[in-house]
Amino acid sequence: MCVFRTTKIEYRITHIENRTSKNPNIKYRIPNNEIMTTYTLSIFTTNTIGLLNRITIIFTRRRLNIESLTVCETERKNVSRFTIVMRHESRDTVEKLVRQIRKVVDVLAVFGYLDHEIVFNEIALFKLATPLGGTALNIKEINLDWNAKVVHWGLDYVVIEKNGTEVEIAEFYQYMKNWEILEYLKSGRVAVGKTEKGLVEYLPESDWETV
Amino acid sequence: MANTQTMTAEMPMTETPKFLSGAQAIMQCLVENNVKTIFGYPGGAIMPTYDALYDYQDRIKHILVRHEQGAGHAAQGYARMTGRAGVAMVTSGPGATNLMTPIADALLDSTPMVCLVGQVKANLLGTDAFQECDIIGMSMPVTKWNYQITDADEIPEIMAKAFYIAESGRPGPVLLDITRTAQADIMTKPFVYKPCDEIVSYRPRYIPKQSQVEEAAKLINAAKKPYIFAGHGILIAKAEAELDEFARKTDIPVATTLLGMSALPHNHPNYIGWLGMHGNYGANVLTDEADLIIAIGMRFDDRVTGDLAKFITQAKVIHIDIDPAEINKNIIANAPVVGDAKEALKALLPLVKERKHTEWIAEFKKYDEIEFEKVSKRDLFHDGDQIKMGEAVAMLSKKTKGEAVTVTDVGQHQMIVNRYYEYMKPNSLVTSGGAGTMGFALPAAFGAKVGAPDREVIALIGDGGFQMTIQELGTIAQSGLPVKIIILNNNFLGMVRQWQQLFFDKRYSFVELQNPDFIMISKGFGIDAHKVSDRAELSVALDKMLAATTPYLLEIVCEKEENVFPMVPSGGSVASIRLE
Repeated sequence: MCVFRTTKIEYRITHIENRTSKNPNIKYRIPNNEIMTTYTLSIFTTNTIGLLNRITIIFTRRRLNIESLTVCETERKNVSRFTIVMRHESRDTVEKLVRQIRKVVDVLAVFGYLDHEIVFNEIALFKLATPLGGTALNIKEINLDWNAKVVHWGLDYVVIEKNGTEVEIAEFYQYMKNWEILEYLKSGRVAVGKTEKGLVEYLPESDWETV
Repeated sequence: MANTQTMTAEMPMTETPKFLSGAQAIMQCLVENNVKTIFGYPGGAIMPTYDALYDYQDRIKHILVRHEQGAGHAAQGYARMTGRAGVAMVTSGPGATNLMTPIADALLDSTPMVCLVGQVKANLLGTDAFQECDIIGMSMPVTKWNYQITDADEIPEIMAKAFYIAESGRPGPVLLDITRTAQADIMTKPFVYKPCDEIVSYRPRYIPKQSQVEEAAKLINAAKKPYIFAGHGILIAKAEAELDEFARKTDIPVATTLLGMSALPHNHPNYIGWLGMHGNYGANVLTDEADLIIAIGMRFDDRVTGDLAKFITQAKVIHIDIDPAEINKNIIANAPVVGDAKEALKALLPLVKERKHTEWIAEFKKYDEIEFEKVSKRDLFHDGDQIKMGEAVAMLSKKTKGEAVTVTDVGQHQMIVNRYYEYMKPNSLVTSGGAGTMGFALPAAFGAKVGAPDREVIALIGDGGFQMTIQELGTIAQSGLPVKIIILNNNFLGMVRQWQQLFFDKRYSFVELQNPDFIMISKGFGIDAHKVSDRAELSVALDKMLAATTPYLLEIVCEKEENVFPMVPSGGSVASIRLE
């Protein structure tokens, strides 16, 4: 629980909760296909070499596309967490996929989530050209309206970091297009379930040393 | 893939080691696991382990195959007979890639297998070294688990894990990729072997949830036309007695799948035949009339269901399987029961009511009569010149009292054996079901003989499949295992020819074989052989084969263009089954 609530954090929270677009004319770069549903899979595994391959071949064999994949350590020693985002029209197919992933010997647990069941975010980095005489950056707008920040000042370029959902980042991308984008990249999604349960529920401390 | 090029690189140990070498640890692990026989083929990267095996010959028998594929299938045959992991040991690179087919076969047919595969030295990994191959990457989709060992100290723990994973839950193949470094290095600590009985990320459920069992029992007690599909899971769980008791108490008709064959003896009052593309007429057609399907240890393969959209749509389904991934995979289960077949049946038994389904079972008998008139009669009582596969198998069945272990290859003869061999003893069929691997039978047969030395093991093979692993005759001759081999020779790749006849306008595209003289080949390998083409001599020829105490090959020349019926056309519904 966060005890200190600065204005900035409050702003951020409301910003994430309020996911609607500020500008209705913005065209998203993400295909907004209504038939496809986005699923986020959280996979907990023991930290084993080759396991990433073992999991991804389950997708490729079924001709399923991975939208994004993030692997990280967890608060348990030797436990890795995969966050995989996929889009599919059939929930049944996704459920079968989840069962196949669970079957992998080194996989501890798999959870499938719909977007409303999770809190999720991505990080995007924009490298912008800021030549002499070019349009000046409106730092206040970037900071406060877009909740992004300049993380590196170069001689004639800047690197701006924006955290948010795919939608928010896509909107920000449109705004960034007012400048010359030298490079744009984005991480995969990280997501945490909106439940009170922690990792301890399915990976008890008695079995797993904490880091 | 024998290779001596790298031999000089590592000489046998010169000083007496304080601790075991990795290779010795591997041998010690096999001994601890009570492995008496392994199947293998040496080569460069596995040589330190073969060197250690030299000292373990009194405890571990090694059967030298003629091709690594043979080692894999033999290990499968052994595993199918014993329920314990068959061990295959081969070298890196091509040795390992040759093992891929049996591994894939074992995964589809849930056969426990531990493959010990040599690998180049750890420091050469990723350098395209001689006979290096990314076997971990290659085997990933076809193994239950695989692991690369680079450190000798890891061996006891990983070996224990390998056997546990291979044999527990839904069994499957495990591959250990053991670098030469790990084999040759001396362990830094004393060898301690602790059998593995728990892995935190892998906990197969044996005892089913009581709530699931109760739900299933409710459906069973309410059903009017219940129908049991018994699969391989019955044999793996050794639940034949429980199935028998369950079937008798509830009086539910039981059909088996191909791999579930011999789960009930064929004279059992509740046994009504087998399911699937070439299964029995009534067993298939009446799936459309049942109001409850109790599927035990089977996975609704497409060869059983035909067109899924039209399969058992009217019935409720109880699906008992140890693998949760099978539940709702092809058929939605109204009452899933995740657990071991034996435990599930044990739990169900006290909850189900004693019933009589005499009329329902009699319906199957009606279809049996039609099938006999239209199909079996033609196959068994035939006055043409040439021997039919069916009559040969039926005669063999009678002469062996249905008690032999039949090992079949893949194709027409495989279906014919299942149609006409009357199994009386459990676990009597070894066949490649899911993968349909031609060339499976010959090596699997001697593996099965090692696993069940007291049983008569008869390999029945088509002329096509026989030539895929024909070199294993050498293994059989060298090991002296008294395996009986029957070639049902129709000079054709019969099953493909049948499909071409029925579905491709008789355009026989590359299915006729110019076969060698099998008798001469067999005798060349040192195996007594006999050929029979006259019906009048068939009985004597079979007697002679069965009386032999050494390996023996009998070639039966069969009718060339024989078709296997009944047949559910591929992709068709079971109701579209053809009798001619």
